[in-house]
Amino acid sequence: MVRLRRPRSTQLWQLELLGTLARRRALTIKLLFPLVLVIPLVATGAPPFFAGMLLTVLIAMVGTVGTGVAVTRSRGSGWLDRLAVLPIPAWRVGLELFFAGWLVDSLQATLVLAVIVIVGRGDLATLVTTWMVALAALAFSGAIGLAIAALTDHAGEAMLYLGVLLAPLLYLSGLFTGVPAGGLRYWVAQALPFSYLDEGFQLLLGGNPPYGDPLHFLIAAVSFMTLSVAAAAALGRAILARAA
Amino acid sequence: MNEPSLTEPWLSAAGVSRRFRNGRGVGPINLSVGSGEVQALVGPNGCGKTTLLRCLATRSRPQAGSLSWFGDSNRQLARRRLAVVFDSTAHAEELSARQNLAFFGTMRQVPGDLWEPALEEASVAELGDDPLSRLSYGMRRRVLLAEAVLGAPPLLLLDEPTLGLDVSGCQWLVEVLRARARLGLATCIATNDTDFVEQVASRVCFLVDGAAVRDAPPAELLADLGGMREIRLSYRGASPAARMLLVPGVERTVEAEGGLLVLAGPRDGLIPDILAALGDLDAHLIDLTVRDPGLADCFLQLTGRALHV
Repeated sequence: MVRLRRPRSTQLWQLELLGTLARRRALTIKLLFPLVLVIPLVATGAPPFFAGMLLTVLIAMVGTVGTGVAVTRSRGSGWLDRLAVLPIPAWRVGLELFFAGWLVDSLQATLVLAVIVIVGRGDLATLVTTWMVALAALAFSGAIGLAIAALTDHAGEAMLYLGVLLAPLLYLSGLFTGVPAGGLRYWVAQALPFSYLDEGFQLLLGGNPPYGDPLHFLIAAVSFMTLSVAAAAALGRAILARAA
Repeated sequence: MNEPSLTEPWLSAAGVSRRFRNGRGVGPINLSVGSGEVQALVGPNGCGKTTLLRCLATRSRPQAGSLSWFGDSNRQLARRRLAVVFDSTAHAEELSARQNLAFFGTMRQVPGDLWEPALEEASVAELGDDPLSRLSYGMRRRVLLAEAVLGAPPLLLLDEPTLGLDVSGCQWLVEVLRARARLGLATCIATNDTDFVEQVASRVCFLVDGAAVRDAPPAELLADLGGMREIRLSYRGASPAARMLLVPGVERTVEAEGGLLVLAGPRDGLIPDILAALGDLDAHLIDLTVRDPGLADCFLQLTGRALHV
């Protein structure tokens, strides 16, 4: 019997990505999960403030849980032990684990935005900027997930930490109450990607949020992405050092 | 990368210690493994073998003492020349043996033409395209070992290498380690499988409660026993352990699975005396076996504890 050779992966992120793609049922559920939320929200014309808030919470959860729990489980299985003794620097391990998680999470976020496009909501410029901000927010969430994975060996405990950390960040981003113009709350919100994402979703869904400047969004997206990548590389050592 | 020196130790531990909050752990330990040597760390569960091996494998940092690999204490440099097998079978489980091996081969810069022979030698090539999650534990251990010995790393560290292997798997591993020794490559094994150790080790370090009680070549350890015999008694009734110690020539007794292990010196009339002692106790003998002593008996003689209970 002739067997097809499976694609070979020579980099950690490729190996992680192929592993995720090979878990077909889990991948299908992972991709369908955001659609279960976004389709009714968009199709029923839910108020933009609530729809934007829910979709932003979804993206934040996807990024943190996807990376945080996966890395925590990798440690529990002994996989990180094996990576730690390879002749590759710890920063590269952190970065590649982060990147593999981010790629799959980005696919989920892209599907969410695709649904919004299909139902004909929002203009192209807002769509592109919101997509960029969504990718940056996923990267930011992924870096939070990595940080939490450096603190615990248990997936359940990681989920608890994620909830405890994300809830105040989402509140400070103005998701639940909006953000007043000026003052400390305003500047704190500006320093978090979820505030931009929330506004982007609101704009796309017909809302009228107060600070919707596309250029500002793009600069923020690039800044958060850069910051997250740097954080992921820096967290590599902490992730591998735990339980060593 | 320079060739490792043949005169200096390839792996050296000086006063290495790593203890946990509960006081368990290992150290201080002094150890030296050179070209062509197979160093075994032998001891019962919880004696610190794995903790020490993780330090030697650059995975854990010792709290005290110093480690060097090929004359250098840089762990990142050391990782270019060593391969490790821990006691788990962690892989990218959804991917195949070939995919996993390709990854580890690339990471360790092993030429691609060596990958397939490594799978064939480990007898996993036929299942090499199946997801590892569908393979048995033993087959996954074989893949793990194939990845580790791939490209003949100068220093190989193995934690419980025979775990899950069948007889042919153990034999394959024995041949691999002997071939490595002939090539002048160094290996360090943590295990309590003394039958395996007797076949491959050039030095054996006995560990008890985190301390090294003896470190010597196997022949020297066996010579310490001076012609002693291991007598295993299966019996029904009260334990004859205390009574056996009164039999002339009996040096140690230890309760083991299915009976009593007796270590005794060579003496005419020993077995009849043991049988008479059993009769005194009204213990009913089921089986009695006598065999040449091995490393497990050396450990028993040295520590008074059985490796295999």
